[in-house]
Amino acid sequence: MKRVTTRPTPPAPIGEAVPRRDALAKVTGAAQFTVDLGMPGLAHAKVVRSPYPHARILSIDTAAARAHPGVIAVVTAADLPDVELLYGHSIADHPLIATGKVRFIGEPVVGVVAEDPVTAEEAARLVSVEYEALAYATDAEAALAEGAAILHEKPGEQRPHRGFEEDIRRTHPNVCSQSRQHWGDVESALAGAALVVEGEYRYPRCYAYAMEPYNAVASWDRGELTVWTSGQHPYMVREDLARCFHLPLASVRVIVPYVGGGYGSKSYTKVEPLTAALALRAGRPVRLALSIEESILTTRGDGATIRLRTGFDSDGRILAREATILLDSGAYAENSPLVGRKAANRLGGPYRIPALDVTCSTVYTNTVPGSSFRGFGAPQVTLAGETQLDEAAERLGIDPVELRRRNVLRPGESAWPGVRGIDADLVADLDLAADELGWAAPLPPGHGRAICLSASDAGSEPVTTSVVRVHADGSITVTCGSTEIGQGSSTVLAQIAAGEMGVPLDHVHLLQSDTSAVSFDRSTGASRTTTLMGLAIQSAARDARSQLVAWARESLATGDDEVVEMPGGVRVGDKVHGWGAVVKAWFGGAMGEAIGRGYLRRAGATEVMPPFWEVGCVGVEASVDEATGEIAVHRLVTVGDVGCAVNPQLVEAQDVGAAIMGLGMALREELVYEDGTLMNGNLFDYRVPRAPDVPEFRSVIAERGDGVGVYGAKGGGEGSLNPVAAAISNALRRGAGIELREVPFTPERVWKAIQERDRARSAAHGGHAVQGEAGT
Amino acid sequence: MHELVTIELSVNGVARSLLIEPRETLAEVLRDRLGLTGTKVSCDAQVCGACTVLVDGLAMSACTYLAVDADGRAVRTVEGLATDGVLAPVQQAFVDKAAFQCGFCTSGMLMAATALLEDNPTPTREEVVRGLEGNICRCTGYVPIVEAVLAASRAGDAAGAARIEQGSENSGGAR
Amino acid sequence: MIPRFSLVRPHTLDEALAAFEATGGDAAYLAGGTELLQVMKLGFAQIGTLIDVKRVPDLKGIERRPDGWLRLGAAVTHREIERSELVRHELPALAGLELHLANARVRNAGTIGGNLAFAEPHSDPATFLLACGATVLLASPSGRRELPIDEFVVGPLFTAREADEVMISVQVPPAAAGEGRSYDKLAFFERPAASVAVRLTVRDGAITAATVAVGSVGPVPALVAGAAEALLGADAGGDGLEAAVTAASGALADIEAEADLNGSADYKRHLAAVLLRRAVAAAIREAQADA
Repeated sequence: MKRVTTRPTPPAPIGEAVPRRDALAKVTGAAQFTVDLGMPGLAHAKVVRSPYPHARILSIDTAAARAHPGVIAVVTAADLPDVELLYGHSIADHPLIATGKVRFIGEPVVGVVAEDPVTAEEAARLVSVEYEALAYATDAEAALAEGAAILHEKPGEQRPHRGFEEDIRRTHPNVCSQSRQHWGDVESALAGAALVVEGEYRYPRCYAYAMEPYNAVASWDRGELTVWTSGQHPYMVREDLARCFHLPLASVRVIVPYVGGGYGSKSYTKVEPLTAALALRAGRPVRLALSIEESILTTRGDGATIRLRTGFDSDGRILAREATILLDSGAYAENSPLVGRKAANRLGGPYRIPALDVTCSTVYTNTVPGSSFRGFGAPQVTLAGETQLDEAAERLGIDPVELRRRNVLRPGESAWPGVRGIDADLVADLDLAADELGWAAPLPPGHGRAICLSASDAGSEPVTTSVVRVHADGSITVTCGSTEIGQGSSTVLAQIAAGEMGVPLDHVHLLQSDTSAVSFDRSTGASRTTTLMGLAIQSAARDARSQLVAWARESLATGDDEVVEMPGGVRVGDKVHGWGAVVKAWFGGAMGEAIGRGYLRRAGATEVMPPFWEVGCVGVEASVDEATGEIAVHRLVTVGDVGCAVNPQLVEAQDVGAAIMGLGMALREELVYEDGTLMNGNLFDYRVPRAPDVPEFRSVIAERGDGVGVYGAKGGGEGSLNPVAAAISNALRRGAGIELREVPFTPERVWKAIQERDRARSAAHGGHAVQGEAGT
Repeated sequence: MHELVTIELSVNGVARSLLIEPRETLAEVLRDRLGLTGTKVSCDAQVCGACTVLVDGLAMSACTYLAVDADGRAVRTVEGLATDGVLAPVQQAFVDKAAFQCGFCTSGMLMAATALLEDNPTPTREEVVRGLEGNICRCTGYVPIVEAVLAASRAGDAAGAARIEQGSENSGGAR
Repeated sequence: MIPRFSLVRPHTLDEALAAFEATGGDAAYLAGGTELLQVMKLGFAQIGTLIDVKRVPDLKGIERRPDGWLRLGAAVTHREIERSELVRHELPALAGLELHLANARVRNAGTIGGNLAFAEPHSDPATFLLACGATVLLASPSGRRELPIDEFVVGPLFTAREADEVMISVQVPPAAAGEGRSYDKLAFFERPAASVAVRLTVRDGAITAATVAVGSVGPVPALVAGAAEALLGADAGGDGLEAAVTAASGALADIEAEADLNGSADYKRHLAAVLLRRAVAAAIREAQADA
């Protein structure tokens, strides 16, 4: 790891690679995940799922299942008249259990609760459901074709105040939302361009494979609901649960233990409403633990088809961009409308573009619902945008890094009117990546290098709170709604609290993700936690300190004693008192507590949206086996432009993890549908990266203090994923002379691109075949 | 009443006699009957390695290994790695290198690494990479895991440290 | 989850066969379980009784028979084969293949017999053993029979084994003088995209006998006679080899191939041709080292 720092030094331990606080629990097996929880009387649920991509439910016969020994409850939609079945934070169109018809293979139709999971599974096999098959569409183009089957006969209820209301436009019965981003006069800019690059790019539907499958435990007690879940957004889940079960927010408690992977796939609500409904009917606490096969049938990333035109002047300056994006969003809205909005916002990348017009439609299809997935529209559109920059560089004879230098937004410059200026120095980032990659060094034959960028309006909404409680012994409890999903929030946020309170790290205890015990946070996603929860904790710590200083003045100072705040406490006259002593003095004994509150909203530093930009900067060196089409990535470089690395080891961990996930998507990952059926819905056939797939990795962390967060911090964790596919495509354009526009770059697709290249070369050489490169 | 069988096995050095159904996997017995929830089940298809435990020293997928097959054998799980509260070298190396994030693969990864190092105490980087090929981590990108296992190897104390700094001489590129 | 079943753990072959008969047919033999238990989990098979044959002595052991054939007990694990000094010496390509099969856990639990009996079209051992001319020995209450691999594997996930038959062992003939055997595969996902096994004899510098088997490409591992014929008579060390290998590759152009997640039928045939070139070279190396 290389660190490049031009920011002031923050108070320790902020900025230090302290060991993760969850380390001991996780290396000894003691860490408790939702799937590890047990409780007296716990019953177990299994789900009967739709075998049809689209069908009307004619009848459900549950008699045999109900009669099976050990079965506690068998639940269909008809058994839940007292429950609001439709949930969804943007559009409430998703039934927690199928009502009337099914819209994808794998949709839950019946829930079975039994004394143990095997008995539940046995009983589930005894349920018989009669369906009438309906016409279906399993990709966006098919869903928009003349006469296509309509998934939702009427639009779902739009939920208010989500920030993208204007995007919920049903321009076609199968269009869920349509987002437009535009400025300038695109047509005349393109007409005057020296070069217009045009193309269609495809990004697949992907599965995040969080290794802990979706699972939850629900328990009812005197009309109040407690749910333990493997989710990223406990407060969003609470809201959906309160709405489904007609409860006040205060009567729903959502607790998130350690989470076995998220990557966006555990954003928002998944299995929690169904689990709670089953527990309600069973009259027992119920666990619903999905298998990985069932998790694949629960949420995926949105696939994309992007038609893009970019106009350049003869110096390689971008004049205009015009794009149409179709997102394949699956059977229900979930979070796809927001993914669509972000795809439209992110298509421009971190570049100065005088005119732009992007329309992005999210389309309902009879497939697993698409929703949040790390990168959130950015990997999809970055593939298109960055590929076109290198195509232009080649055609204009300009070095592709130089072409980017000419176009990147300069610090503070806004991509479009009213938006926060870019809070990164991308020219400097490009130089760092070029150095690490060895941009100018000689290359082995067939190898190519590329550097690609991305820019994401990140952070979601700044609606975040925290409480800092200073105890009588000087130890501190920080409560926050941010979830530890492996990214290290429990370490980083404790570092911020310790730094702000001036106490050793081991004085700080963090309590996270229990909606009845900690105060509100919107979500754990969009790379927002370090930045936004960090600010809320900083604000709460400052509130606590100002109270404590006032208390010291009131209780410890006499006469004209000067009270001076210092790290970890106050100096009163010539005596130093720790925070605990101040608490005790003010309460007049050995007990008491100071409570600092931190609120973050759209005001002050976080008024202009987005709260920060997350930029990605990735370099690769790659080559291809001409005989098989298999790609080899030899070196992978990331520049983590994070403003201030509160914990550099964890920043690097995010960058490498994101980049390797991006590598998996670029080369192998794709949910393959044939005739309405998912062909690789298991970990055997859906291949994620393995240890031997990892190239030499080099990480650079750039810290220029230019973020809105504490000491100039801003988020990371997605940026290093977004440009990977484009960087590989561009490296192979330069190294092997092939065009790759459809992710994943499977060996067969690459092999075909090689043949395409050879045909083109052969035609260019007057019909003589070019020998020796693609032979067997 | 379902058929039950008695098995006698050692789990982390402790003799156990259990009455179980033949259908129960070792993962189910460890987690549900013995409360050893450190062993995780993810893919449930012997692909991901999250449920890796050692049976008579050999790595097995506890998700698909019948508990009756452990009858008369010695089973080791992540809970048995530390002795008297002192982390095993491979655990300590995982802490030092931050070789985990969410932690769901970690138990299996540690057991796979343990089997690897017991079989080959001085592996090369390539041998570590190959040895962990069957264990998936979705968070870390494997880089810190490989470094941790090398650091925990017998060579890791001295020569391994230098090798880690050098970077990967054997990285054959993405396949 | 694995559904409920009854378990029998016989100690002799007779006990195992009797146990099967006692169930009236609602039974299956269980060894490593890496395939069978997975199939049961997925609900593709409901089986009343599993008969665990891991304790049956007849199914164990790796040895060279007096006639030179290598005998592998059906319940021998992949790991045992991979680490067997005898296999490493007699049949190094098999030891090498086993080392790259699935993952360490599957190799530790899974058996050669289970692999062959499952008849997964992408099976590495089936393709290699087919080229080697290996046989499987089956036993049932009505007697024993020995089948060559191509008569044993009759379709994807389908063998000639009757339900009441248990596989006892696999027999591999010894290498003739100047014979080399090789196996190579390309795998981009969990299972191979294509695999090729070559067995050939080099006498006086020329290929005098050849067998080519292709796996993972079609529904079953298949012998490709045309490819083998094209290699016959070729100069193993000289210029003639290139033309022979090209001709042999050409013979792969119309083998039965099925598209799967690895790619189209055409692409998989192409990969087989790429592998054939590598496998021929490796087999010649072994043949000449042997000579």
